[in-house]
Amino acid sequence: MTAPLFDLRDVGYHYGSQAALRDLSITVHAGERIVLLGANGSGKSTLLRVLDALYYPDAGSVRFCGRELTEELLLDDEFCFDFRRRVGLVFQNPDVQLFNPTVYEEIAFGPLQLRWPKEKIEESVARAMEFMQVEPLRSRPPYGLSGGEKKRVAIASVLVMDPEVLLLDEPTSALDPRSQSRIIDLIAAWKNSERTVITATHQLDIVEEIADRAHVLHEGRIVAGGAPREVLADLELLDRCNLVHRHRHSHDGVEHSHPHQHTHGSHEHKH
Amino acid sequence: MHIPDGYLSPATCAVMYAGAAPFWYVALRQLRRRLSTRLVPLISVFSAFSFVVMMFNLPLPGGTTGHAVGVGLATTVLGPWASILAISVALAIQAVFFGDGGITALGANCFNMAIVGSLVAWGVLRLASAGAAPESRRRVFAAALAGYVAINASALCAAVEFGVQPALFHDAAGVPLYAPYRLGIAIPAMMLGHLTIAGLAEAVISGGVVAFLQRGRSSILPGNIPALAAASSSSRVQPRLAAVLSLLLFCTPLGVLAVGSAWGEWSAREFGDPAARQRIAQSSGNQAPPDVLPKGMQHLASVWSAPFPDYAPRFIRSQKLGYMLSGMFGAGIILGGSLLAQSLLRIGRRQERPR
Amino acid sequence: MSHPGFVEHSIDGLSRALEHALFSEEMARRRGLLQAVDARAKLAGLLVLIIAAAIAHRLPVLGVLWMIGALLAVLSSIRPRDLALRLWLPVFAFAAIITLPAVFITPGRELFVVPWLHLAATDSGVRTALLLLARAEVTATFAVLLVLCTPWTRLLRALRWFRVPREAVVILGMTYRYIFLVLETAREMFLSRRSRMAGRMAGADGRRLAAASAGVLLQHTMELSHDVHLAMLARGFRGDVFLLDEPSMRISDGLFAAVLLAGAVTTWWMGR
Repeated sequence: MTAPLFDLRDVGYHYGSQAALRDLSITVHAGERIVLLGANGSGKSTLLRVLDALYYPDAGSVRFCGRELTEELLLDDEFCFDFRRRVGLVFQNPDVQLFNPTVYEEIAFGPLQLRWPKEKIEESVARAMEFMQVEPLRSRPPYGLSGGEKKRVAIASVLVMDPEVLLLDEPTSALDPRSQSRIIDLIAAWKNSERTVITATHQLDIVEEIADRAHVLHEGRIVAGGAPREVLADLELLDRCNLVHRHRHSHDGVEHSHPHQHTHGSHEHKH
Repeated sequence: MHIPDGYLSPATCAVMYAGAAPFWYVALRQLRRRLSTRLVPLISVFSAFSFVVMMFNLPLPGGTTGHAVGVGLATTVLGPWASILAISVALAIQAVFFGDGGITALGANCFNMAIVGSLVAWGVLRLASAGAAPESRRRVFAAALAGYVAINASALCAAVEFGVQPALFHDAAGVPLYAPYRLGIAIPAMMLGHLTIAGLAEAVISGGVVAFLQRGRSSILPGNIPALAAASSSSRVQPRLAAVLSLLLFCTPLGVLAVGSAWGEWSAREFGDPAARQRIAQSSGNQAPPDVLPKGMQHLASVWSAPFPDYAPRFIRSQKLGYMLSGMFGAGIILGGSLLAQSLLRIGRRQERPR
Repeated sequence: MSHPGFVEHSIDGLSRALEHALFSEEMARRRGLLQAVDARAKLAGLLVLIIAAAIAHRLPVLGVLWMIGALLAVLSSIRPRDLALRLWLPVFAFAAIITLPAVFITPGRELFVVPWLHLAATDSGVRTALLLLARAEVTATFAVLLVLCTPWTRLLRALRWFRVPREAVVILGMTYRYIFLVLETAREMFLSRRSRMAGRMAGADGRRLAAASAGVLLQHTMELSHDVHLAMLARGFRGDVFLLDEPSMRISDGLFAAVLLAGAVTTWWMGR
């Protein structure tokens, strides 16, 4: 069994007086594709930021390749540059991530900060733009772009550094169906590649395509984990964690209510 | 209150840029050290916010509406130095991109609104809210008062800059070349609008937003951004010093216009003019001034105009301008130097402490 | 029908700002003389012309400079009509208010008297007013030409050449970028309030509404700045900013700047 890439033990994190993560333990191995399932407020975004060494835990430890991620460690130039290149985070709100005046400069930002030589920057940016099909947008400012375009530029700006680990925060949120499926196809294509992908989402219908393992978060804790099919079959659990809605109907004077999720086929309820 | 291009003489514009530069420089250095990675996104986004707030049409008592600059709010939330930068950036973008306010006059506008405004607001804020609890009504009042006083201080500076133009810059016939209203007109004209409308708008925005944030127990209230709190509390001494010096800075033009000269500050020309000689004698206990101009004075009198070739415009060679410029530069250098010294001392002290 | 309150006016102001930005993006994309010149050369040349206009004290000099401005506009595919409507007219409106009293209070030879007010307009008064107006118009024209014909990012990077600190350049760029986001957020906030309001809100209620809107906007803003900070850190930002290099200036750019400089110096010399 190879050493885990990420090893979190009993991690806790607070926003002021509110706890966002409690006693959270999880391990991630290289090459895995994982989904963090949780409703809004369950702590998924916070967990991703802890994984990316943007937040440091109040309790417990976070280890990356055996080294504990602390504020001090990230002050070390060598480690910081290495870590920032190897681990990339795509934020949920692309506007937060598109802070440069043009698309080209945005994608070039990462390599510039990592002090890559000029030719390497130009080459990687060109490649990233082509891969995400945003070349025609290169001189455009971010505010004029559509939701799907912004998302593709945001992903390009992270992929340009060729990270080993990709952290995705709700990658399909606020996107039209076509853009959504493009993103999903992208993540699915990384199956069996060397890239480790950790996706946070509340969309149940994409989980099986994008992950080999699913963890369910509820109120800052991991309450379940396993193969996607198993996790998705546990409707009671999903209901408790606010990931499915309840269907209410009545017949013969009796009212029924049960958790329910939509699948692609037709559905009928047995009772 | 945004001064457009063409109303202040180029010399005034240059002086105002020179006056603003030390503050910008010190603010940038201070903040860069304390906020390091946080500085760029904080100032940028807050600047964007103040830019937008400057467009709010605020309803005021009496049925009028007005616009606020937001300097009271910026100082309350960010502290004086960050506020200087944030408001300056917003003003720069307004001037360059939206044509609101001139480009040559940008130095003056930043000096008046961003620099004097922030420092005065900070001084008033500290005085008025001393000892008050973060959630108290007094903080709301303090913020409103800070905004009101700050914007009026800015307006006064602008009025003085306008008002000295006719006296200092006119053609041979005495017709003003730039802003044509002398101090006696400029000051009341500008202050009237600001004491009533603009000042109220500023008070409404500063006090209103602080009250709103208090109701929601917001974490933005001052002191809650740790690095900023550190930055502003350690600058406790400097803003007062800076405020005093700023006051002196814009008083120097007034000194130029004082009727007669202060004792001892006589120009070489006055020694030759009989009426002036009379005045000098009277103010010196009826002792007649020397007939021959002391050689040192003769030499010094030409120091200012000598470097400028004969065909330079007359106003540059005027001694009055030299007086004004040296006063402003002097104060600026003293201020910049003392702040620099303080920062250096602090670095030295910090390096001594064990890490 | 109740007349529009501050919500309406604020929405108008915000919409106008957005529209202005889009207009200038479009101008910067057109093919023309100024668009083709390097940003540094433009900055230097137009700045010199602005200074020449600011120190001019003869109307004919300003007239020549105005014509230079108009010529540059035409050569850069900007219609004088657009310039007139968006720039010359608003500047005139604003400057006229400040300048009008000067016509009457400046001492000089009387030209005519306004009947009911018994105000006398003097020749030097009229001259001063015209001078001020012309100066405001001409300086604004050159400034606007610089901005309309250059993408904001190029303009900022040109500032580096003039030794403006790197952080200042990055802050200016980021502020500009986020102004539109904050404008959009504010506009949406006001639009949704307007749709829920029956009539005009004025007085103390209006003030509370304005303060609350600003407060909410402030909270969004601070949250945004927090998140942007994290996003910057996540891509390797350590506090020092690095910028892309500008392509080197061509000889034609240098020539352009030299020509403008010569023009400015000539007009100054003419007007001595």
